[in-house]
Amino acid sequence: RYVRQLQRLQLLFSPTAADARGARQFVEESAQDFARQHPDVVLYVSPHSGPGPAPVLRAEYLNGTVREELIASKTSEEIVQLATKLANQSGLDIIRIRKPFHTDSPSVQGQWHPLTNKPSILTIQGPRLQPQ
Amino acid sequence: APPPEKKRWLRAYLELQRLQAPPQRRSEKPNWDYHAEIQAFSHRVQENFALDLLKTAFVNPCYIESEEERRRQLGLDKDAVALQLQDNTGLAERGLRFARAYLAHCFEGAYPELPAKGIEALVNFLTSQELVSYVAQNLSIQDLALCRDFPAPPDVLQRTFLAVIGALLESSGPERTGIFVRDFFIPQLIGKDLFEIWEVVNPMGLLLEELTKRNISAPEPRITRQLGVSTVLPVYFVGLYCDKKILAEGPGETLLAAEEEAARVALRKLYGYTENRRPWDYSKPKQGLAAEKAISSN
Repeated sequence: RYVRQLQRLQLLFSPTAADARGARQFVEESAQDFARQHPDVVLYVSPHSGPGPAPVLRAEYLNGTVREELIASKTSEEIVQLATKLANQSGLDIIRIRKPFHTDSPSVQGQWHPLTNKPSILTIQGPRLQPQ
Repeated sequence: APPPEKKRWLRAYLELQRLQAPPQRRSEKPNWDYHAEIQAFSHRVQENFALDLLKTAFVNPCYIESEEERRRQLGLDKDAVALQLQDNTGLAERGLRFARAYLAHCFEGAYPELPAKGIEALVNFLTSQELVSYVAQNLSIQDLALCRDFPAPPDVLQRTFLAVIGALLESSGPERTGIFVRDFFIPQLIGKDLFEIWEVVNPMGLLLEELTKRNISAPEPRITRQLGVSTVLPVYFVGLYCDKKILAEGPGETLLAAEEEAARVALRKLYGYTENRRPWDYSKPKQGLAAEKAISSN
């Protein structure tokens, strides 16, 4: 069955900074809807008062990776899109995919090895057959 | 005026302190709500749990001991602050029994030729510590489980996961728990070969027993192909023939190894555990209610 890999989202922002305006709007308008639509993700909203670090959305996944995304000067809709993107990801590292194809069954009839299609010794040189 | 920032020459030291700090449980770091996390866990696994049963499932006996120890050290009276937690050993036992019975039932249905020892080996592998603790780690049970040491040792994780299965059994009944066990344990068998899981010392003897049960004559080993006989790495293909008809063929470095491998291939074919068998059936079960009742009466 499908298990969402995102465990929790922590929204760290400041209630007075100017670049956290989108974060504050997100908390007022869309945070509850997002939490209702994704009941298996725990959403923590923690405003830290006073000037502090930039507003950040921290995502923790089931395999332990923690991903931080800056949400400074982003609108509320952009933050919603970002949150859904993080919710649909798995916690694997984002690296270059070496090849865009993968198959679990690389060979249907058996992989070729030098002895396929060679008749066995018993058909050539059995106990009663003459060697050809 | 803007507040004074941390001194530039202090930053390296603070960074070193942060990196060298010992690992802490997630429950001790900021932003943690146990009730919300447990609700999220039940939604993540798409199961309805009775939440109090689930909370008892996460309590381990080592946690209860450490809590009583702490209360004694703080000098609190035992009656004043009584610890009203039950631990998860009962739930874990029930979960383990149900999981073993259900998995054995599944394998008997899917591989009817497999002998009892093989089924037992498969079930032991699936309920072994490493596998269950691996599954538990990837379902974030290590954050929710209450235990004395951090990081939680694999037997604690195994006990907690089995207790979760026991709690599900109590809340939702044997059918849903059976589907849960099937969805989380059986995919761990993908890509595994039968004899990686089941250690067989004498495959030839086992093969002879199986063939006598089916009234087929003893197999005759013959060399089918050979490559590089006089080199350091020879390859012999030994075929097992019964009444002049081929049973199985296996490669090996020496003749003995090739014969043993051929016996193993023959056993795989007989038990129906080859690589090209039909994949496991994960569709919704409509029948088998009588079977579930049989399991729940175990």
